[in-house]
Amino acid sequence: MSDRTLVGDVPPHGEDEAFLGNDDALALVGGTDPTRGTRQPGSRSMSVAVKARRYLGFPAVLALVCVAVGTYVARADLDDVERRLLTFDRIIDATLVHLQLVGISTLAVIVLAVPLGILVTRPAATRLTPVVVALGNLGQTVPSLGVIVLFAILFAPGFKGAVFALVVYAFLPILRNTIVGLQQIDPFLIESARGMGMSNGTVLRSIELPLAVPVILAGVRTAAVINVGTATIGAFTNAGGLGGIIFGGIVQSRTPVIVVGSILTAVLALLLDHVLGVVEEVLRPRGL
Amino acid sequence: MTDMIALEQLTKNYPGQARPAVDKLDLTIPEGEIVILVGPSGCGKTTTLKMINRIIEPSSGIIRLQGEDVTRADPDELRRRIGYVIQQVGLFPHQTIGRNIAAVPRLLGWSRQRIADRLDELLHLVGMDPATYLGRYPKELSGGQRQRIGVARALAADPPVMLMDEPFGALDPISRERLQNEFLRLQGQIGKTIVFVTHDIDEAIKMGDRIAILREGSTVAQYDTPETVLAAPADDFVKEFIGSGASLKGLGLARVREVSLADWPTSQISAGREAARRALDSSDHGWVLLLDEQRRPVRWVEARALQGEGSLDRVGLEVRAIVEPTATLVGALESMLGSRVGVVVVVDGSGAFLGTIDMRVIMSAVEVMRAAAHKRVLDDRRRVRAGQEPPANAIAAQ
Repeated sequence: MSDRTLVGDVPPHGEDEAFLGNDDALALVGGTDPTRGTRQPGSRSMSVAVKARRYLGFPAVLALVCVAVGTYVARADLDDVERRLLTFDRIIDATLVHLQLVGISTLAVIVLAVPLGILVTRPAATRLTPVVVALGNLGQTVPSLGVIVLFAILFAPGFKGAVFALVVYAFLPILRNTIVGLQQIDPFLIESARGMGMSNGTVLRSIELPLAVPVILAGVRTAAVINVGTATIGAFTNAGGLGGIIFGGIVQSRTPVIVVGSILTAVLALLLDHVLGVVEEVLRPRGL
Repeated sequence: MTDMIALEQLTKNYPGQARPAVDKLDLTIPEGEIVILVGPSGCGKTTTLKMINRIIEPSSGIIRLQGEDVTRADPDELRRRIGYVIQQVGLFPHQTIGRNIAAVPRLLGWSRQRIADRLDELLHLVGMDPATYLGRYPKELSGGQRQRIGVARALAADPPVMLMDEPFGALDPISRERLQNEFLRLQGQIGKTIVFVTHDIDEAIKMGDRIAILREGSTVAQYDTPETVLAAPADDFVKEFIGSGASLKGLGLARVREVSLADWPTSQISAGREAARRALDSSDHGWVLLLDEQRRPVRWVEARALQGEGSLDRVGLEVRAIVEPTATLVGALESMLGSRVGVVVVVDGSGAFLGTIDMRVIMSAVEVMRAAAHKRVLDDRRRVRAGQEPPANAIAAQ
């Protein structure tokens, strides 16, 4: 195909015969300022100071909370049992294990649920969508303690069983958001993409998925935050994590231990929520 | 002149529907012309259009593009040879204008430099400054600008054929007219073969080199130039369809003073019953209009009520449906529908009788307006195609 026919016939820009003079184009929209609308939250034009405040302000508050907790543990008048339960090593270790529980399970869900969500929204498989969502619902409807104990019995008590349980538990938010994110795309966008000769794969890769990213990430964020809370229950099957500290406090009837464990769990959940919020903002396609 | 597109016995059946949406359509589209598919909603015109690039797959029949049977060709390859513009435009919101327009050239594997050159050229072609707009996102553009970009995107790989599905349907009337005019001038430069769907007969007359008027099942009622369709409608369906549209709108704009009023038998109240009877007898109307000393309409009287003797002050019906010459025909029509006599009385500023308006007056006014409207659209189209300044420029210059 040649594009010469056009080249030869096009008058230079700005002459009378032009399709439409640029001034006219501007007049049509009431004298659009060329710089209008290019500034938006998260765009590169945001100043460093504003960005720093936005992204680092809340973590700084959480860090202060952690310092306060640390100071309390170091200075407070604790008895022997409490001292044994609240060593720095134990706290750090529990936090790391907790993060692993949440991180591994959430990543596994992303790897499983996002492709499944893509699959069931393909035109050929739309009849599967309700079935798959119903299955995903199962994990959420059964009480989390039940799921965790069930998987501890099915697999092995401990870390692995808890990860499996968290996968089941976090499956639905990510699956559902993937489905919704893909379904909410204006069908005319897909029609016009198909109409210009993009294959189904190209449409998925360059139109559907980028447009669904914000919704999918919102699902990931929800799932991860839910998992921070649910993972504490893993302590009942000896999975470790911050739940271990809380559980120890309960068994020994030591309120300070329970409080420290709970605060740290909450801080972790809030921090994760914030970080994933930032990720959402950064990965959100520009122009939306 | 060769045929760019030929549709042969093209049919689309939807499961669960008794009648086919498109029923054995035969249609040829000559090279370099704008062919408009127009018809009432549900007639299958959009389905027909979307079968040409096989967004909708035909149930049976053959589609030929430049003589080649493409009914079973790779649809993606086929579509890259056909520009496609829809009413919703469908610009990808997460891509810049430049990336949007470059979509097909990228699919075709053009070099970076060739794409960049083409982008510049296309933006100039649709009258937008490349430096300003290429890096913007669709949401930063007005509706009219988006539609221009939609056209530029469809033209990107210089396809011989463009399909346009109500491309200007979502725009306000002013932008719409501007884009229509711009598009006609653009077509003067690029000479594409264009299939264009609309439900608006005025747009069809203005934009089309040929118009295919479709009825249910996408059956061709008439396929001819706009001039011929207007001058010699093939049947009542076509006649009715080209008459639809602007009538009611026109009635809202036309004033009573612009139509020739119908005469009516009148008589002065003071002249007595005998004079009123004579006035009524000398006409073929069933009612006589009684006027007072200043010739102001007072009462409607039937022959029956004129028998006997006595004053006429209380007989018959009070005259309620009265309008002044400045009233619109819609206003007159409304009054008329509320009047028992079926007639509205027109009076001057002092209230004196001028004449009446009945259904026949309205109908002949509608006829005149339709003829004038079609003439205006044809003149407009001629002017635009001759490359003169389109009238819409006056609006933009304000």
